[in-house]
Amino acid sequence: MNSRTLIIGLGNTILSDDGAGILVAREIKKRRNGLKSIDIVEASLGGIGLIDLMADYNTVIIVDSIKTENGSPGTFYKLNINDLGDTAYPCSSHLLDLRTTIELGKKMGYNMPESIDIYAIEIRENTTFSESLSPEVEKTIPELAKKIVEELILIFFL
Amino acid sequence: MGNKITVNPITRLEGHGKIDIFLNENGDVEDAYLQVTELRGFERFCIGRPAEEMPRIVPNICGVCPTPHNMASTKALDSIYGVTPTPAAKLVRTLQYNANFIEDHYIHFFFLAAPDFVVGPEANPVERNILGVINKVGLEIGKRVIDIRRRTRDIIKLIASKPVHPEGGLPGGVPRGIKQEERKTIIETADLCVEFAQFALQLFKDVVLKNKDYLDLILSDVYNLKTYYMALVDENKKVNFYEGKLRVIDPNGREVSFFHPNDYTEYIGEWVEPWTYIRLTHLRKIGWKGLIEGDDTSLYRVGPLARFNVSEGMATPLAQKEYEQMVSTLGKPAHHTLAYHWARLIEALQAAEDLQRISIDPLLTSTDIRNMNFQFTGKGIGCVEACRGTLIHHYETDNKGLITKVNMIVATQQNAAPIGLSVKKAAQRFIKGGEVREGLLNMAEMAFRAYDPCLGCATHTIHGKMPLVIDVHDHTGNVIKTVSRDI
Repeated sequence: MNSRTLIIGLGNTILSDDGAGILVAREIKKRRNGLKSIDIVEASLGGIGLIDLMADYNTVIIVDSIKTENGSPGTFYKLNINDLGDTAYPCSSHLLDLRTTIELGKKMGYNMPESIDIYAIEIRENTTFSESLSPEVEKTIPELAKKIVEELILIFFL
Repeated sequence: MGNKITVNPITRLEGHGKIDIFLNENGDVEDAYLQVTELRGFERFCIGRPAEEMPRIVPNICGVCPTPHNMASTKALDSIYGVTPTPAAKLVRTLQYNANFIEDHYIHFFFLAAPDFVVGPEANPVERNILGVINKVGLEIGKRVIDIRRRTRDIIKLIASKPVHPEGGLPGGVPRGIKQEERKTIIETADLCVEFAQFALQLFKDVVLKNKDYLDLILSDVYNLKTYYMALVDENKKVNFYEGKLRVIDPNGREVSFFHPNDYTEYIGEWVEPWTYIRLTHLRKIGWKGLIEGDDTSLYRVGPLARFNVSEGMATPLAQKEYEQMVSTLGKPAHHTLAYHWARLIEALQAAEDLQRISIDPLLTSTDIRNMNFQFTGKGIGCVEACRGTLIHHYETDNKGLITKVNMIVATQQNAAPIGLSVKKAAQRFIKGGEVREGLLNMAEMAFRAYDPCLGCATHTIHGKMPLVIDVHDHTGNVIKTVSRDI
């Protein structure tokens, strides 16, 4: 088991705010001084593709975008795997949910992470092809990156 | 408003996989429509960019079919630059492409089809998923699926750097050839894929075809839809995923069109309806006839069942034998929507056999992988069979090679109207006199899943639930019931 930590920025950087998770990961890269043992990846995938990425890491932090009912763009939430509900049967083969993915990974004998935290940024727009973000989402990117780095420093040095 | 029930799922893309069912005054099903999220501004996003960026951009528009988008785009570039890939480059491309077919088809079969057929359509939804499949067929099979997936993705990665969003794609060739030392692993993978393909087909026959209830379901009228079919075929009219001419057959199996993909606008019409963002395709020469099936329709289907119906057989010997068995069981053309699953497994065998042939071809490790003899044309149409069906990319550029026009015809766009009709037939069984019976969701889902629709660019999801939602509207348009899975 790899005792290191992995940060996964998820999203699609050509679909407006959808790329927020990836942009946070890039921001963390810039601020990672003293946190050399953390791996940071960008990914535009879901479902079983995540097994390959997460396998053998002890701690995984996923940063992604989210749309909730009446959510205010730019706010972010910290979720864990239990917040995501039960395992489910998707209607398209590449839409396996995270919880099923992790259970599947464990069943297949992969070393799945003991700890998975999810940071989700509430977004406004993810249906228009563009490389720019909504202003309120853009403002959150450095804030969230700073918060994640600070939390990691606490874990590592205290 | 009347008796309206609204459910707002927390999904990344709202409206993702939404089905609207409309009832008539008697409360019986009149129409069913598939709704997908509209993704806007792709053409505007591309205009002004160098054409050679397209193969790197297009895999990002769909997390489900990145390799087919990448390949159609690369083939469009071949035409823009007026250049034919070298024979070795074509071999490397088809190596990558077959690997994609194997991976994608098994993910579909084991994750989507198997929960219904192996665990059972009546099973508790909590168990009716891939984990339930593994509980039933054993962990070993699950591990083999994952191993085949890893190996085939390694082939894609070798050539195009990333399996999820391939970055390779050059006019006239491939960015990287195959080294002699890499051949051994490719041969091993190909051999394993052939073996596994035969195993998967045997599993399908044992578990599905030998089960009378399942066979009856496949043969039932609920899952039967009479349409035209379209697919690429090679010069012998055999199934070809990478190239060929487009052939269209009518609902009785007669060839009605056989044309070069460059002429697609003459044959494929696009139609706008107020209830969907999808430009619905139909056969232009017949004209738009609406959402109807049968001899008078102008709708056609694409994908594995279409390739089975359109072709005169498979291009490889083992797959051909399986094809013959499917013909003798279902006849041709087979209008049985659930037979998409069977055809899919036969295709995975063809892709595996083809992988095997390519893996031992001496030309595979040639270094002559790029034809740079460009004859710039400024226009390119690239057509491949994606796993889900025919995919066409059409680009035009100015004289500097900067994009001025982009058009795409994608598989789910072509299947959208037939998916609506398939869901309608399933719904008719479960909704009578305004009463929605238990079981609607799953029967509708089974129709829907057979096509393995890709619903836009949701390359990843963090919601915990399946995003399919069915709204049932009364004759005045009010939503009287929403069916979804515990959202």
